[in-house]
Amino acid sequence: MSWITSDLRAPAEAKTPADDGYEPVTGLDQGTVQCVRACEAEAAAKTASDYSHVVWAYGVIWALFAGYGILLWQRASAQRIDTAELRRRIDRGASP
Amino acid sequence: MLARLPLVLFAAAALAIPYSVQRIFLHTGIEKKMGTVQKIFYFHVPLAWIMMALAVACGIAAAIQLRRRSQLAESISIATGELVLITGLAVLVTGPIWGHATWGRAWTWDARQVSTGLLWLIFAAFVLLRRYGAAGSERLAAALAVFGAVDVPVIYYAVKIWKTTHPSTDVVGSLPPQMWASLWPALGALVCVTLGLLLVRIRQEQDQAGLDEAWIALDTGGK
Amino acid sequence: MSLVRQSWLLAKNDLVQELRDLEMVMTAAFFTLVVLVMFALSFAALPAADQTLAVPGMLWLAIAFVGALTLTRIFDREREADTLRAVLTWPVDRVAIYFGKLGVTLLVVTGCGALLMPALALLFPAAEVFLERPLESATLLVLGCVAYCAVGTLFAAGLATASGKNVLLSVILYPLTSPALIFALVATRALLEGHPALTTYLGQLAALDAMLVALASWLFEPVLLGNVVKPVRSAPRRRPMKE
Repeated sequence: MSWITSDLRAPAEAKTPADDGYEPVTGLDQGTVQCVRACEAEAAAKTASDYSHVVWAYGVIWALFAGYGILLWQRASAQRIDTAELRRRIDRGASP
Repeated sequence: MLARLPLVLFAAAALAIPYSVQRIFLHTGIEKKMGTVQKIFYFHVPLAWIMMALAVACGIAAAIQLRRRSQLAESISIATGELVLITGLAVLVTGPIWGHATWGRAWTWDARQVSTGLLWLIFAAFVLLRRYGAAGSERLAAALAVFGAVDVPVIYYAVKIWKTTHPSTDVVGSLPPQMWASLWPALGALVCVTLGLLLVRIRQEQDQAGLDEAWIALDTGGK
Repeated sequence: MSLVRQSWLLAKNDLVQELRDLEMVMTAAFFTLVVLVMFALSFAALPAADQTLAVPGMLWLAIAFVGALTLTRIFDREREADTLRAVLTWPVDRVAIYFGKLGVTLLVVTGCGALLMPALALLFPAAEVFLERPLESATLLVLGCVAYCAVGTLFAAGLATASGKNVLLSVILYPLTSPALIFALVATRALLEGHPALTTYLGQLAALDAMLVALASWLFEPVLLGNVVKPVRSAPRRRPMKE
């Protein structure tokens, strides 16, 4: 931001130094400061929004995979029970 | 050894995921135009590829199932069909999330987006038909899957020419060329996860078919 | 007997049945009218420029709805009397059954479309092109209907034999026919706007028709006949107390 400060410092320095030995304060004028702050706020807002979007996107992907994994797990346990029941029926049938 | 393959794949995924995530977020630059939200693409794009590949695989397996009446082919087509739904849903949700961040609008009527949506509907119909169809509808579902696979390029082309009559200024971007290198680990991780789930599901379907046969044999042959 | 002759005989059989009481034709025509009225009510207030965008959608949505209705009805007869199984025992080429049914469906759906186009032209000024260019409109109508019916006949047949549920036909049919409908939409809009690329679009639609008919006829026999019907478990899937 040096180009801002250097341009604006010039008019301030053109003032004659006050008699009481204090130097006039130099720096940016209010308008520029507000503009810069607004830009920074916008950038920060975008970064924050971007991060939340990225987090949601990745979260959704893994939630979907995890959900499917759980579905498979449930199906597998149902199959295990079914197999056990089948085995019991066969054993019962084998031993009259 | 084949039974262990899913475990090996999941283990590989468990390593690949942290690696790819840290690589995407810590070691890849932030894209100039889109900003941080562009990082969604590193998983969005591979998932879209995986979805298309699974859709084609489902169609091929279904065609084999119809012509050769193979149980294995049927199991593969069921498993791939379900995973098309999962990966497709992931693509269809992450795309609008990205769109919302970039333009404030979730659905952009982009050609790829619309064609993915239509393809997803076809395979949703496939899964519904398998689940709720009557006894003989497995073959019909297989025919549906074949049409779905053939439609992968057809729908894309159709939506593209449809778009020329509905032009919009929003275009879903793609990955800038210098960032492709970070895509491959993400692709690898996702392929491992998807393949692992696929193999587990195929195994389950095979077991289920065997169980059904055993029960029928018991009911009819036994007492 | 050649395939064409066999298909024609089968189609004629269905048509003769239909001509006895004209049930399907009447209901399809009336349904077309009803859909037309609903569209007129919904979209009458559209400004003329927007009508060019809306009319293609109205036309092809109406055809899609009538098509689904017709397909259900065509195979209902077979399902009620279980005559499809009987037809399958005849010494005819299986594919001839497909083409016969396709022919009848096409006739009814195209007939309804032929009612729709002039009616839309009456209701919406933008659609007057249909009357001004009848040859292109007719070509477009036939090509679009062939694409829709080619896919629909296969799946309606499959659901008819599987003691299928009709609601599934709608679930399957609309996503599956979406590429055909999209192509038809684009071509219709090109027609209404006097776009020079109309012939290209019609050519693409014809190519799509060829592909869909070829694929559907190839899949018809495996879908309808398959192998030995897999016996189903007589008792509901056993699920003993899990807890």
